Amino acid sequence: MYRGREGQWAFFLHRISGLALLLWLFIHTLNIASAMWGPAVSNRLMAFFHVPIFQIGLLLVTAAAMYHSFNGLRIILMDFTGWGVRYQRQLWYGVLGLCVLLAIPGLILTVPRILHAASHGGGQ
Amino acid sequence: MAIRARRYADAKAQASTNTELLWWVFMRVSGVVMVFLVLGHILMNFVLIDVNTINYQYVAGRLSNTTWKIYDWLILVLAMLHGMNGLRYVMDDWIRDPSRRFVTKAVVYSLAVLVTVVGSFSLLNHDFSKDLSQNTPTQGTMTKP
Repeated sequence: MYRGREGQWAFFLHRISGLALLLWLFIHTLNIASAMWGPAVSNRLMAFFHVPIFQIGLLLVTAAAMYHSFNGLRIILMDFTGWGVRYQRQLWYGVLGLCVLLAIPGLILTVPRILHAASHGGGQ
Repeated sequence: MAIRARRYADAKAQASTNTELLWWVFMRVSGVVMVFLVLGHILMNFVLIDVNTINYQYVAGRLSNTTWKIYDWLILVLAMLHGMNGLRYVMDDWIRDPSRRFVTKAVVYSLAVLVTVVGSFSLLNHDFSKDLSQNTPTQGTMTKP
């Protein structure tokens, strides 16, 4: 790994978020593909995934997608520029800052809907 | 063995095979493409609309549109290859016993193929517009059997 504590955290979070995203890809693909078996099957499965606990999971997976995206770009900058490795720590704080910056409007939009669904028993 | 280099020149020097170097390049290229595809997908289907309103009708509508079929299939294939190669690095790191590693990889790769095939069928080989047309006014003009 790279020198310093931030580099280790960057690597660890990249790996964990990657694994989470892969797990999500499997579940999400099968869930959406269930539409092939018609509305009865598919609506039931989707109502199941609209339970609030899964929507908090959805927020976490979105956070994982943002972190993995921006830290992936940081890795590319480290690979292909002369200065990327030198500023890897600053770049990592930039990655975290960008995630927080985008999370604020995202949470403002999505959290009220999740709370609303939770107070109405979830699902459709 | 996964490449640990931080630069293309180092990666080239460290790559055990040409295939390994190709994967190293693929991870970066597919990654950049997916930053836009995946974040756009999340924006369209989670942030800009209420995820609680997503039901069969919404999915069938999207999967009847050629643009979204291609868009989603591109994500499916790129994410699956990118994710499975990432998982291969993880399995090489974390599973020390060669026979257990072999079995784990066999199971995991088979599952990946299965999910990709099911996903591809739903995106490319299933006519969802047929189900949607039941609710469109054009149905009324057709002669009933």
